[in-house]
Amino acid sequence: MSQTTVAVERSPRRGRGIGPAVPAMLLLALFFIIPVFSLLLRSVTEPELGLQNYGELFATSTYARVFFNTFMVATVVTAVTLIIAYPVAWLLAIMPQRHANLVMAVILISMWTNLLARTYAWMVLLQRTGVINTTLMKLGLISEPLALVKNLTGVTIGMTYIMLPFVILPLYATIRAIDPSTLQAAALCGAGRWQAFRRVLLPLSAPGAAAGGLMVFVMSLGYFVTPALLGGASNMMLAEMIAQLVQSLLNWGLGSAAAFVLLVVTLAIYALQIRFFGGMR
Amino acid sequence: MLLSYRKLGGLRIALWAITLAVCLFLLVPIIFIAALSFGSSQWLIFPPPSWTTKWYHELFADPRWLQAAMTSAKVGLLSAALSVFLGLLASFALVRGSFPGRGILRALFLTPMVLPVIVFAVAIYALFLRIGLNGTLVGFVIAHTVLGFPFAVIAIVNSLEGFDKSIEDAAVLCGASPLQAKLKVTLPAIKLGLFSAAIFSFLISWDEVVVAIFMASPTLQTLPVRIWGALRQDLSPVIAAASTILVAFTLVVMALAALIRSRMNK
Repeated sequence: MSQTTVAVERSPRRGRGIGPAVPAMLLLALFFIIPVFSLLLRSVTEPELGLQNYGELFATSTYARVFFNTFMVATVVTAVTLIIAYPVAWLLAIMPQRHANLVMAVILISMWTNLLARTYAWMVLLQRTGVINTTLMKLGLISEPLALVKNLTGVTIGMTYIMLPFVILPLYATIRAIDPSTLQAAALCGAGRWQAFRRVLLPLSAPGAAAGGLMVFVMSLGYFVTPALLGGASNMMLAEMIAQLVQSLLNWGLGSAAAFVLLVVTLAIYALQIRFFGGMR
Repeated sequence: MLLSYRKLGGLRIALWAITLAVCLFLLVPIIFIAALSFGSSQWLIFPPPSWTTKWYHELFADPRWLQAAMTSAKVGLLSAALSVFLGLLASFALVRGSFPGRGILRALFLTPMVLPVIVFAVAIYALFLRIGLNGTLVGFVIAHTVLGFPFAVIAIVNSLEGFDKSIEDAAVLCGASPLQAKLKVTLPAIKLGLFSAAIFSFLISWDEVVVAIFMASPTLQTLPVRIWGALRQDLSPVIAAASTILVAFTLVVMALAALIRSRMNK
């Protein structure tokens, strides 16, 4: 009986029920897919047909420097956020619920606070006459203000701040899902704390760390606002370079090529993540 | 015993110390900005010599800030409405449809969320330059709808999947038309999902900077674009006041949303 109804439901038309999705498909086709593809097309057609834009992008030392800066900052930010986030996610996963709610509220408030407001805060905190420099000088730790902003130090501090929640949350979810008895078993089998951490907790939480780390790495590669405001003119990162090429220099061919490189790297990393860890959770 | 809170011993103190430090690290800059917006120092010296509300007066005296806030609100509301409407229709297709490629369509609907925003910003900027939508309200709304739509789909698909379709079928059996059944039975049942979708897509638009920078004209700017422009000139305390209002508004929306959600759940 149920088999026949299934057959009846399926038989009239293939593609049943796709109708309501058509308006959204149109929106995305017209204003997302076509624009992105035609942008990528411009990278091989402007100023003339060929791959010379990519050649220029990788051969010019100024652009190579931007790629290097971008990968450096993304790598350092990913490493630092993972190290800082791990203990927080760990404690958050096992602490009493009422404390956990408070810590979680802090993380969510920070995440939903306007990005510009947070970046502005760091611009003020890190400037030459800012609180951090004046405090360090009062304590006599330094005699001259440190250059903490308009360079890659500033970008790294600001990005670490912005990205922390994106590592804490997936790590927290993973550690919370680990059965505590596996660690009891490790202890019963005579594992010391360090051994239990290194051989049991760390491997079991690795998928969460990888998911969060890859997400932060990818987001950092394409980040625009924070690097543009906390970095200096000589320490540009990829997203700002794309914007400048297109908006100020009107070099659409080169700008599109840089955008395409960013897109490919991003998609490749997501594909890796899905291949090895079964998608984002 | 690494996953037992009581048996962590000394390690527990160490983990707490790090966690508290991180919480401070996350909160202090936000509080700092709010404090500075009431400080009297033009050079943002902290602690400020005295307290004042003059930066807020300056902010409200400048009609450009107010205009920018109005634009932000308009763009946010319109793109949220559009995202929810399109997201609702799309979710029906994703949850109830039986067409080939449903999984692919679902993935496609979420791509604006994972693609680097700068790539989308440049691409839509190029298109809008060509068709004359740059610097227009319509342009802003379309661009922000593309960015908010995935969040609406996630929220609505989740609640639609949790809704038992046989209730809707029962309404049809009792004589309601399929549309009536959807409007009067299904929509009220998934209102929580619709509500979350609206809040998310509004906040996405309200806080969005990158696309907005490309889209803006000197006469049509959202609040984040105006702050961005001011930031590139100097670090005036007026920006602290504007940022504080922006953040306060987001917090109020989130608190209201939580309140309404708990009311709806009852």
